[in-house]
Amino acid sequence: MLLPGFYDFCCRVRIVSGQNALEKIPAMLKKMKAHTPLIVTDKGVVGAGLVDVVRAAVAGELKLSNVYDNVPVDSDYKIVDEAAKIYRQKNCDSIIAIGGGSVIDTAKGANIVASLGGDTLLDYEGFSAVKRKLNPLVVIPTTAGTGSEMTLVAVIADPDRKIKMLFVSYFVLPDLAVLDPRMTKTLPDFLTASTAMDAMTHACEAYYCLEKNPLSDSFALRAIRIVSENLLKVIKNPADMEGRLALANASTMAGASFSNSMVGLVHNLGHTIGAICHVPHGTAMSILLPYGLEYNMHRCGEVIGEILLPLAGSEVYAKTKKEERPGKVVEFIRKMNNYLHEATGGRHPRYLKEIVDKNGAQVVTESLLPAIAEATMQDGARMANPEEFLPPDAMLVLEHAWEGKPLDLGKVNKGGKKIKY
Amino acid sequence: MNINKYPQIRPGKKLFKRVYVAIMLWTVGKAIQVAAKVDKEVKEELARLPNNFTLRMMVAPEKAFPLFFYAKTLPAFVVDKGLLFYGIQMLLHKDKEGKIKYLGADPKGKKVDLNIVFKNIEAAWLVLSFQESTATAYMHDRFVVEGDLVHSLTFVRVLDIVEVFLLPKIIAKLAVKRYPKWSEMSPLRKFVKRVVIYIRAYTF
Ligand SMILES: [Fe+2]
Repeated sequence: MLLPGFYDFCCRVRIVSGQNALEKIPAMLKKMKAHTPLIVTDKGVVGAGLVDVVRAAVAGELKLSNVYDNVPVDSDYKIVDEAAKIYRQKNCDSIIAIGGGSVIDTAKGANIVASLGGDTLLDYEGFSAVKRKLNPLVVIPTTAGTGSEMTLVAVIADPDRKIKMLFVSYFVLPDLAVLDPRMTKTLPDFLTASTAMDAMTHACEAYYCLEKNPLSDSFALRAIRIVSENLLKVIKNPADMEGRLALANASTMAGASFSNSMVGLVHNLGHTIGAICHVPHGTAMSILLPYGLEYNMHRCGEVIGEILLPLAGSEVYAKTKKEERPGKVVEFIRKMNNYLHEATGGRHPRYLKEIVDKNGAQVVTESLLPAIAEATMQDGARMANPEEFLPPDAMLVLEHAWEGKPLDLGKVNKGGKKIKY
Repeated sequence: MNINKYPQIRPGKKLFKRVYVAIMLWTVGKAIQVAAKVDKEVKEELARLPNNFTLRMMVAPEKAFPLFFYAKTLPAFVVDKGLLFYGIQMLLHKDKEGKIKYLGADPKGKKVDLNIVFKNIEAAWLVLSFQESTATAYMHDRFVVEGDLVHSLTFVRVLDIVEVFLLPKIIAKLAVKRYPKWSEMSPLRKFVKRVVIYIRAYTF
């Protein structure tokens, strides 16, 4: 690839990263002419003492007394409206989101309602309803993976209609993302593992899916290298603050990458499995990533092979023959998953059938696979996947991923030429 | 200054592209209507759309068909009837019973639920002359989707199937991501549907 015929890249989030990044928030808020932020977060984050960490870091310069901590795991528009109402009641002028994907999406939604007026987010449903600059939004991610701080979309559910609403606009992007390793220090090892593999998936898919471009590529390659070099280290030594900061950076970079490129079948399947079986996003990602790579290999093997360099380092890359590189990438990701599985005492599942809920019951049963395969047609990520991905194809991938077998490449439907990006 | 008073005059080459695109949109609209009746897969795909649903595929801008500029020289009824008022487009409607109908090119008085807009005539030309596949065109921002993205996925899939029916393999291969193998679509089905769709689309 020299240059794609056309591409579009926009990344206008200010990022501060460092061991003491939280301390910079008051000055930066002041620059944005904001003085009374509303904290949007969830009970887990509060319980882990992370809001107190932020409070202590900004003490003396900023009072964080307005807190909305009711965000559930799957947020919906009613939560958004409630947060916006409190924003107005307390005369806030900005939002600080502290949490993972759900919290960040809720904060983005609440910022729409709070900035543009009205009582409910439903008023802003539909295309291009958000047309002007919103109030300042600061995001402090507490997981290193979703990359939501860099995406221009807020995904909010409507439980009454049982649909997910997408609010897509450059104005939805946060103004500031603060990466501080203190925020991910207390994350349990299996969550550190799965969220980092989510970031890895964002970077890999952004690198080989159809909307790849030189700018998203550079973010993706660096993110892959950082995750590969740091994830196992951090799992072994959870107090490795440098490693944690590195993972947070990788997550943000991968976020910038896939927000401007696109994701493909791994996310297509992941979203669908998440919706039907409530499998955590990161878990689905780590299981499915090798299959996404395998499935697309005959269409863009060369590009997938390039991932080996940041993933395994220059020595392995140089030693591996060009045509063997894509296979080596898959092998490396599988090895990572196996290592994470062992290091977390089996709490990082490697196959779909290994996923269990709190009571030890299987979450994805084999009988659910056809329904999942059928539902993949309803997810936008199927567009950017290099190879066509229809329900029978999804079924093929699901059967292998459920069992934990490498994908039988002979069974993949072929019929298109090498992808020209 | 009212910019509308200074319409752009486009050279003849564009006119050819416009006519071609208009014919293609008409053909695609009719073909989808027929395919929805005769092909199981198309029927199943379209079942994903809600009933009472109108879809429009058009070339931006909506109200600037260049013949509008020549309207003064045309018979009055052409302008009065609004025949030239709207740009190149086609509308498909799924009614209360789930039947698909091609509605022509006049959006007047119709509520459009899903609007697929080619950014300009060049973009439409690239896609409808199969120089660029639907997926590539999507990646290259040749068209924008106004409405629920999920429904546009259904439409793109239907478009892909219909293109395979209508076009010879050598051209269809350029238009779709993966040309279906025998196991996915038998040559017999392809051939029969091709004949049926062409005959019915061009006769009634
Ligand atoms: Fe993800």
